[in-house]
Amino acid sequence: MGLEGRKADLPTVPEGGHGEASFLTTKLDFLVNWSRRNSLWPMPFGTACCAIEMMASAASKYDLARFGMERMSFSPRQADLLICAGRVTYKMAPVLRKIWDQMPQPKWCISMGACASSGGVFDVYSMVQGIDTIIPVDVYVPGCPPRPEGLIYGILMLHEKIKGEKLSEKSLRAEDPLRVGKPNRSPEVIEAITGPFGNSTKQNRVSGLTSTAALARPTDRLP
Amino acid sequence: MATKKVEYVVARNPGLGTDGNPVPVTVPIPAELEPQMQGEHMLINIGPQHPATHGVLRLVLELDGETVIRCIPHIGYLHSSFEKLGEYRNWNQIVPLTDRMDYLAPLIYNCAYAMSVEKLMGIEVTERCKVVRVICMELDRIFSHLLWAGTTAMDIGAFTPFLYLFQERERIYDLHEALTGARITTSSTRIGGMMADLPPGWTAALRKFIENLPRTLDEVDTLLTNHQIWRGRNENVGVIGAEDAVNYGLTGANLRASGVDYDVRKDRPYYDYETYDFEVPVGENGDCYDRYLVRMEEMRQSINILRQALDRLPDGPINVDDPRVILPGKTDLMADMESMIHHFKVVMEGVNAPVGESWLGIESSKGELGMYVVSDGGSKPVRWRVRGPSFINLSALPKMVEGRLLSDVIATNASLDIVLGEIDR
Amino acid sequence: MDKPFEKAVQGLETGPEASTPEAAGQGGVESTGHPSVAALREKFGAAILKAVVFSGDEHCVYVDAERSAEILHWLRDDASQRYDYLQDLTAIDYGGGRPLEVVYQLWSNTHKRQLRLKVTLPLHALEIDSVYDLWRTSDWLEREVFDLFGIHFRGHPDLRRILMPENYAEGHPLRKDFPLRGRFSRAEQTRLALSMRVEDYYTPDELTIGGTPVAAGDGLAREGRVGGPSEAVKNTTDPMIGGDIPISQRAPVPGGEATQGR
Repeated sequence: MGLEGRKADLPTVPEGGHGEASFLTTKLDFLVNWSRRNSLWPMPFGTACCAIEMMASAASKYDLARFGMERMSFSPRQADLLICAGRVTYKMAPVLRKIWDQMPQPKWCISMGACASSGGVFDVYSMVQGIDTIIPVDVYVPGCPPRPEGLIYGILMLHEKIKGEKLSEKSLRAEDPLRVGKPNRSPEVIEAITGPFGNSTKQNRVSGLTSTAALARPTDRLP
Repeated sequence: MATKKVEYVVARNPGLGTDGNPVPVTVPIPAELEPQMQGEHMLINIGPQHPATHGVLRLVLELDGETVIRCIPHIGYLHSSFEKLGEYRNWNQIVPLTDRMDYLAPLIYNCAYAMSVEKLMGIEVTERCKVVRVICMELDRIFSHLLWAGTTAMDIGAFTPFLYLFQERERIYDLHEALTGARITTSSTRIGGMMADLPPGWTAALRKFIENLPRTLDEVDTLLTNHQIWRGRNENVGVIGAEDAVNYGLTGANLRASGVDYDVRKDRPYYDYETYDFEVPVGENGDCYDRYLVRMEEMRQSINILRQALDRLPDGPINVDDPRVILPGKTDLMADMESMIHHFKVVMEGVNAPVGESWLGIESSKGELGMYVVSDGGSKPVRWRVRGPSFINLSALPKMVEGRLLSDVIATNASLDIVLGEIDR
Repeated sequence: MDKPFEKAVQGLETGPEASTPEAAGQGGVESTGHPSVAALREKFGAAILKAVVFSGDEHCVYVDAERSAEILHWLRDDASQRYDYLQDLTAIDYGGGRPLEVVYQLWSNTHKRQLRLKVTLPLHALEIDSVYDLWRTSDWLEREVFDLFGIHFRGHPDLRRILMPENYAEGHPLRKDFPLRGRFSRAEQTRLALSMRVEDYYTPDELTIGGTPVAAGDGLAREGRVGGPSEAVKNTTDPMIGGDIPISQRAPVPGGEATQGR
């Protein structure tokens, strides 16, 4: 496949707009970005504990309504922002992909929490090791679960990202129709970013330092 | 990549005809796309992504109009394999995993797990630790019921209680954070004691919280309990009889609302629950309304228990004095070599449990939570099994909704108080 | 300062009791004083293989696999036993080729007694009678044991996977010879997860409701449907644009061949 295939995986660096930035296009960009970011309607894809913190963000103390986001849209067709809050299993992955595909452009994605960003504590057979293998992610919010302030910081970071967008950059809002329902990364990249690291490679049932006879079983050493 | 084109069939209007009217265009529809109308029953999918399923639950319903003929729940969309992961973790390293199963009442899970491992090891915790754990468990019972009431009200259509109750939950979040450093994923117990003792001022803050909570509960009561719409949507909905409830394995408020008086705190008391003065509310009709009333009353009884526990909180060490399981104090650790080695061994090798097993059931906010730990003498379990009450409560859902209307499915599902983390584990 | 340190080191190194591989599944002392154990021994005699007490007060009875359903039936219905409540049903895999144990945890709400029952199943004969008719609680519990351990329950009306997807092909996860990260590579797991068809989401039973399913258009052309992909795309093996990787070229599976377990 060569290098050309790889280019599709890497996030594209937006090229300069077609034509120079004129006063009118800059003002138009500003207006469009202002209206888009100031009332992002979130599609809360809450699965686990992070969903509770997302609900707490929407409640009275850390009010999301001040960002125009109190209208949690449960229909993807009417949403701008997919907040994936919680761990995603391989059984749930096609659902996530389908919902992402159903959202119309412009759309953004916040991966909330460690499990959505990289699999979190769950480096197991059933857990997706990061939703960016399935859908493109704009902002990753770390935490287990992230505090509501953390989620709000992620949202503000997304606002900054939206501020820098240009209408003339077609690549930002382009979607390849052939990639609907398919993973977001190629198999080699998925292997590279979800491979075991650190302690995962040494996971076995018996701690290496113990000197009990329980070490004797070969099945204890399986990763 | 951008140069590959896909062909769509597009019906292009050829414009106006000779008589000045648009030419009608017939788009040929291939035979395989023609819907076949067979029978009168509909197959409806609720979830797994749905606002009212309280997590990633998928309900497949066979509907005849609005009436549910069959309801088939599909779970497993959150299966994080806690039980297998537990086999690769030390006894203390499993405690953070327990938070993430029932994330609505994490302290209860922390305590239940620590209790079952301590039973296996034959460790008796200190008096202070017992009372602190009772405080933690009752606080999280309230915590879980507050969320349940808020989301159930939201499902039925009443949005306001959600905001009031979440404000109370924020106060509990502050208490969690003061005690353990985290709002939700507390990980506060350790084998033989707690991660840390109560910080100064915590009991005063808790007292203030339980003085103010009844007022909020009264407000929610005023809004909901005698409201005609609330009663109409909850009375005689999702009914399950006492015998069926026992046979289907329901526990917790679901079982008690059907008239069966089984509460683990009363029937197999642990941590001196028999010395606390509290009542267990038992319903009669086994419908959603009774489950609501039982849980509201349970919150008030938990406030009662908390008050008594705070009054009897003894001084003394929070951790048991057993160097095999408890880390040495930080000042000792920094001062002498033996404590450093002791600390190193406990953390790196883990605590060894004796050969054997222990199944311990306690009353969690959702029902009877069972923790089964099997040890082969090492520092990691051979098997760690969690009997999540919601898993079994949910299996009774088809029995409760078949023959009822579609909107009753939502109300019944909400009244079961399920949390998918402990269903899918 | 010496005494606690020595105690700690000694306790950590040897453990409270001898820990050998054979020790797994042991640790109980002989059971005395539980009325159900005595009654069971009297009624079923040789079918009760062993009765031990774990952790001080948890009585556990090991029974013969053939008569387990009969024994459980008696435990539920006999007036002096009345174990009307099945608290838990699970299984234990000790690893190393040892037999699996199916564990029943019972509670009698009338007599306020608990009892544990264990049935040992050799790996080559993982079959046992279902207790679906005795306690409906076992409906999902037995499905879960089947899903995670591969134990077949005779007489269960709907024994299929519950936590893993129905077409999960990597095996039975909670077995000790199943690796923590699964048998397929992550890329393969992702690919399989996203390549499911409508039929994979439903059981055959559910598919009979309402007629043949018609997959709503995903907005896109797939082969055989309206406006199929162009010839150039049809024969591609690039998974990113709809092609399929032939089996021989799939990512290597770590830790051995993938078993087709169901």
